[in-house]
Amino acid sequence: MLIREELCVGCGRCRPFCPTAAIRFNGQRSSIDQRLCYECGACLRCAECPVDAIVESPGALESPRALRGYFSDPVSEHVTTGIAGRGTEESKSNDVTLRVGPGDVGVAIEIGRPTLGMSLPDIQKITRALARSGVHKFEKNNPIYSLLADPQTGDLKPELLGERVLSAIIEVQVKRDQLRSVLRTLKEIAREVDSVFCVDCCTMLDSGLAIPGEVLESIESEGFIWRPNAKINMGFGRAPGKVKESS
Amino acid sequence: MTHSLHREGSLESLGKDFVLFVYPAKRVTWDGSAAKVRRLTEQIYRSGPANLILTTLRRNMYSGITPAEVLESITEDGTRVFCVFNSREKLKDVLLRIKEANEGISIVVSGLIDAVREVSREIGIHPHTINLSLGILGRTDLLPPPDIRELTTMCGHGLVSPYLVEDIIRRIKKGMIDLWDGSLVLARPCACGIYNPFRSAELLEEKVPLYTVDRW
Repeated sequence: MLIREELCVGCGRCRPFCPTAAIRFNGQRSSIDQRLCYECGACLRCAECPVDAIVESPGALESPRALRGYFSDPVSEHVTTGIAGRGTEESKSNDVTLRVGPGDVGVAIEIGRPTLGMSLPDIQKITRALARSGVHKFEKNNPIYSLLADPQTGDLKPELLGERVLSAIIEVQVKRDQLRSVLRTLKEIAREVDSVFCVDCCTMLDSGLAIPGEVLESIESEGFIWRPNAKINMGFGRAPGKVKESS
Repeated sequence: MTHSLHREGSLESLGKDFVLFVYPAKRVTWDGSAAKVRRLTEQIYRSGPANLILTTLRRNMYSGITPAEVLESITEDGTRVFCVFNSREKLKDVLLRIKEANEGISIVVSGLIDAVREVSREIGIHPHTINLSLGILGRTDLLPPPDIRELTTMCGHGLVSPYLVEDIIRRIKKGMIDLWDGSLVLARPCACGIYNPFRSAELLEEKVPLYTVDRW
């Protein structure tokens, strides 16, 4: 994003809307630090600039900077997924897709969340650590996959390493007995990144919204605690051709 | 997109916060979904959501848009609905309506596991998959304080800035805005319409006395 200095009246209304504090005030005018700006568009959409001084920066749609917007603005639809978001359908449609099947666990690493964002070199530290631990099956439908130069090593494309994004999601899928190893890897690499990430664990439920014991044991044994709130696919989905059983 | 999964707060507060998605699946339930999503959206409105956005419009309930305009916008297959309810009773009501509608579109609820389990048992439905939040790793020392995060994490995409929360607290303390209108300002950046302004107003009422005006 860019503030047209010739129009800005220095009211400061836009500044608190920026999640990364990229909007600076010099006493008379506001400007946006292009190095920090994630191109999330919060200032443009929400700050209601009285003189319409906020515009998209000319380079925002050019590679490699364009990926900032793809990963930071939830309204932008990512070219590789056709989904307006950082990830895939993951658990949300699992009742009809069975992407995470019985015996599987989906692990999502939510880069830069909450709030901080992350640089591409830090994302690469995580993808490399996962690859070193034997996890090479990065979700191909996730936009992160398009950033990988080599899924075997976890290396990202070098030309992108100067960028940063507000959020991105690394999705991998493993068997339940591999969950401990993945969680251990994430705990170790967390010490080396200069930001934060959230960890999610997706699994099919047993009857009565019972979480499989094997999954919970793996989580506990690696010292993680799951939050009391979760995202739950309610099982209302029905693939075409299937007749819904009466509940 | 796991942007509803990491909402922070006390059990009491999270007990008034249930996010619901209507989610046609690409290549599976996508074709012909527009009419089904429209019927489901009508049911959602009847249950009284606290906020709502459709991917067709990206304008939340408080932007001046009418339910009729929202329903009229559902013309394309694959339209998704993101909304939030501010009580367990409303969640139960909407799930019962969705069960009866039997449209076959995937529905996701983010909320307290125990509450969703109870409601599911009461209305006789069988949840399929769960996505658990295992918390935050890394430089947690860089994060805004937990009381600010209770508000900012209502937008999992990180668009509700902690600086905006602080600004709203300052403006409330100075009498420039009230709790509800402040919450609507905070709801604006959330492009998915799952920022819960009712919960936000309660949280702000709690937080405002803890801060001083001249801090920022």
